[in-house]
Amino acid sequence: MLEALHLTKRYGATTALDDLTLTVAPGDVFCLLGANGAGKTTTINLFLNFIEPTDGQALVNGIDVTRSPLESKRYLAYIPETVMLYRNLTGLENLEYFAALAGSTDLSRASLLAVLARVGLPAEAADRRVGGYSKGMRQKVGIAIAVAKGARALLLDEPTSGLDPKASNEFSELLRQVSGEGVAVLMATHDLFRAKESGTRVGIMKRGRLVALHGTDEFSHADLERLYLEHMHD
Amino acid sequence: MIWTIARKELTELSRDGRFRLLAAVILLLAVASTAAGWLQFTAVSRQHAEAQRETREQWLNQKEKNPHSAAHYGMYAFKPASHLSIVDTGLDPYLGVAVWLEAHRQSEMKFRPAQDRTAVQRFGDLNGAEVLLVLVPLFILLVTFPVFAAEREQGTLRQLLSLGVPPRVLVAGKALGTLAGVGLVIVPVAALVALALGWASAGSYLAADASRTLALGATCLLYFLVVTGIGLAVSAWAPSSRVALVLLLGFWFATSLVAPRIAADVAASRYPTPNAAEFQRALDAELNDPEEARQRMATLQKETMARYNVTSLDALPVAFSGISLQSGEEHGNEVFDRHFGRLHDQFSAQARFFQWAGVASPLLAARSLSMALAGTDFEQHRHFARAAEEYRRDIQRTLNDDIARNQRAGQPYLAGSELWNRVPDFTYDAPSIGWVLGRQSTALAVLAGWGLLAAGLALLAARRLTSHLG
Repeated sequence: MLEALHLTKRYGATTALDDLTLTVAPGDVFCLLGANGAGKTTTINLFLNFIEPTDGQALVNGIDVTRSPLESKRYLAYIPETVMLYRNLTGLENLEYFAALAGSTDLSRASLLAVLARVGLPAEAADRRVGGYSKGMRQKVGIAIAVAKGARALLLDEPTSGLDPKASNEFSELLRQVSGEGVAVLMATHDLFRAKESGTRVGIMKRGRLVALHGTDEFSHADLERLYLEHMHD
Repeated sequence: MIWTIARKELTELSRDGRFRLLAAVILLLAVASTAAGWLQFTAVSRQHAEAQRETREQWLNQKEKNPHSAAHYGMYAFKPASHLSIVDTGLDPYLGVAVWLEAHRQSEMKFRPAQDRTAVQRFGDLNGAEVLLVLVPLFILLVTFPVFAAEREQGTLRQLLSLGVPPRVLVAGKALGTLAGVGLVIVPVAALVALALGWASAGSYLAADASRTLALGATCLLYFLVVTGIGLAVSAWAPSSRVALVLLLGFWFATSLVAPRIAADVAASRYPTPNAAEFQRALDAELNDPEEARQRMATLQKETMARYNVTSLDALPVAFSGISLQSGEEHGNEVFDRHFGRLHDQFSAQARFFQWAGVASPLLAARSLSMALAGTDFEQHRHFARAAEEYRRDIQRTLNDDIARNQRAGQPYLAGSELWNRVPDFTYDAPSIGWVLGRQSTALAVLAGWGLLAAGLALLAARRLTSHLG
């Protein structure tokens, strides 16, 4: 579903992403690990076509994102560190707006409320303005947008950083549900524990290169941490 | 999709306290200026109608007297106030709306309220057109500056574009939503103006006025579109909403406050006009040239005697005094045509310069159109002055012909109401909208050009929306 082929991004002399090749299949939860500046966010921005690759290709459902920027986004949903919403609109109105722009046709109040209920947003919050939402609630609305859109691939950029453990756990639970339905997930994260919990594969990035690629079932959380620190060590 | 975006913009705007406050202020100013314009219009047009009737009655009820005394008695002609002058008083306060018609003299128009004002008051003029053309654009810019810049800062722009919304659709939706927000203010104002116009015309809303009103509405709309397009373009280009705000306030300040003053100075220095005293001196010098008068009189006597085939003035079958008076009039007319023609040509050139200056500030083009449609621009002032002057010349010709025909040498001649009635009442037909717009083709073209520019900038900005996201 998500495919990077020799994907490279250079800014002048610095290489933000160096010859990345990876595939995320439906049902996969691929976690990109690495220090700040390792190229995780660059990878996600390239898939979103927010930046142009210097070399290589990013494909969504086989569609080149540079050549068909609008069509490739039909299959995508993007959840940043903090899902940004319109503070003067209610949660429901935000969902309705984004879902409408994403091309959803069923925008009835009942079905939008059902989506919000599914991602675990308290019913009473749906009609409140999001100005007063907690970060966890915003992330839930982000997932709700992806669900309402019927996205087949999720791009997550450190979606759980700053969430309290309970909210973080709920979020991971949602991710597992969504990927269980055949959605491909690519997630940049610092959270080794979450990566082991909800990921199916992990890739460790360092200075723009993918230096290790493993299935999460290959080792324990402690092994993953040791592996990560080994790679971070120069 | 465009509608969805527009509706969301409108919802957000209507929940924004700053927007509500601004809208209320604009609405209040618009209501106040329209009310003031309406009161002014009704009072002035009633006074004018009364004065016009009185001046006519006085003319008709003159005692028996020599027609030339009647010619000196004189009368006023008033430029009828168009209903749209409720919205835009234009140059009327500066140029005057009444002219004194008498023998031997073409007069400048009188009743210029601006003469009695202090310089400070000129800035405090609360004219409907000022609210529409200066304050509403400021309001639009204050509404548009954060439209993209703030979404970029808040990160919602990334969210939106990650959905696969075509940037062009986004720009169109935002433009529509912003305009709808502005419409929340403008529509009640427009309704109010329409009501005031309908009331002022006591139901007899003329077709000519209706087409002018529509054209004025279209002009405002086009100008608002220009401002909206520029606001959106800058909001999309600017690195932050603060920069967008500063740039747009700068644009408004330059085009709405600075450009009109510079344009006025440049127009006055490129097309200079004499001051009133100089003008009068030059006019008097040519009118009262004794040498010219003597020569003209000698020629006139010779020609008249030849025409009637007589050898002395006493043998003429007509009164020479009437012929001589008319000759003096015609000489004066020729001098007036030259002097006033030159003066008015300079004013016309200044007004045309203002249309061209619209290239630097769309406000100038919009204002030129607005005044023209309200019938308060210079060209229509000149059109009226011309008509009033023609009327004056007709009166003089009628009276002088009567003297020539009826006065007998050595006898006093008195005319009565039969002659006074032969002078028709003054009627004035304002020029058609086609005449008006024909003289505003530069302003129209310039404003249309701004429209294209703004649309182009907004579309270019749409293409830049996806940058600065990485």
